[in-house]
Amino acid sequence: MGDIGLFLGALLAALLANEFRVRKAADLLGYLEAAVGGVLMAVGVVFASGCNWGGFFSAITALSLHGYLMFPGLLIGGLLGALYVDWRTLRTLKSLELGELPASEASVRRSGEAWRRALLLAIGVAAALAFLWLAISSPGGELYAGALLIGLLVGVVIQRSRFCFATAFRDLLKGGGEFERSVRLQIGIILAIAVGAAGVAILKYVGFIEPQAYVKSVGWINIVGGTLFGLGMVIAGGCASASLWRAAEGHLRLWAALIAAIVAYAPIRFLVHAAAPWIYGEGVLITGALGWVGGLAAIYASLLLWFLFLVYLAYRRGARIW
Amino acid sequence: MVRFGRQGERYVLDVRGYVCPYPVIYARKAMDRLKPGEVLETLTDNPPSCENVPRALKDDGHEVIAVEKVEDGVWKIVARKGGR
Repeated sequence: MGDIGLFLGALLAALLANEFRVRKAADLLGYLEAAVGGVLMAVGVVFASGCNWGGFFSAITALSLHGYLMFPGLLIGGLLGALYVDWRTLRTLKSLELGELPASEASVRRSGEAWRRALLLAIGVAAALAFLWLAISSPGGELYAGALLIGLLVGVVIQRSRFCFATAFRDLLKGGGEFERSVRLQIGIILAIAVGAAGVAILKYVGFIEPQAYVKSVGWINIVGGTLFGLGMVIAGGCASASLWRAAEGHLRLWAALIAAIVAYAPIRFLVHAAAPWIYGEGVLITGALGWVGGLAAIYASLLLWFLFLVYLAYRRGARIW
Repeated sequence: MVRFGRQGERYVLDVRGYVCPYPVIYARKAMDRLKPGEVLETLTDNPPSCENVPRALKDDGHEVIAVEKVEDGVWKIVARKGGR
């Protein structure tokens, strides 16, 4: 429900900013990459007990150790992805001929009819209302309705801010392409975790939510999952949430990634759980293992350390990040 | 497919259909092939590229002349190659 809300929120934001358009991938390879990336992300989700949100971002926010294990995996996966991007662009650049371009080529048709946009906008609003009504009228649906509304808001925010974990992990260690942006995104992630973790700590401390809520399995498999997910999101062109908002902007390539991930997820999950349940460990609540003070101190110390490392990295590369 | 070539006085790079990070990489590489003072038009349909491509070109010392909407969801980034 939250995902539907996120998608619709991003769709509405894209429409209002007049950025929506059905965008085909440049070639068949684009769809193939998206599908492969989507399947890799699905495997990663199964291994790491969550995507870039549930396995890493929301996981640390929820004071669970498994988020810390997916993180190095994402770094490795992002680096592998960056190497793939290099290899792929090198191949394309070889075929990048500098010749006379006919005027008709690369010229664009004007096709932006305002009424089509208005129609889509109306459909988006109607869909949001329909899902909301569906959620409210079903038993115990308040939770779904809340998830939908929060999803809508998050969708608007991440579409406008172009919140992208793929960029954050792809260009960080190799330092190519958009290094400055990746550092800024990482700092954004740190701030969001810092705020979110305080909120969750209060909610868990007073018992408003179960202390063990969102605490998932811990093991080496989380690192493997993070690596596969990180590589997958770079190849596909978006993490779980960015695929949603990019699909909402009309990128057919990200539709391919989402569909591949959704179709692959259930069978992979079934196979892994049936064949190798031993790869999963116990969940560890950080504030449970270290106590409230020690656990929170460890989390905030780790955030600070990572922040200092980012600043050092930016300084060494001579990049301006503010 | 990326299309790159001369159209009269200016150069056109068509990266429609590509998502991040490719528009930035191709725009930078295309700029490498121009002589100082020559103009490159990059066509993209990826909204984030309207911010990332100009930023990257500016960082490389080129002059970004305009980011214009060509039609709904397609933008043109016009930049002049810097240097001597």
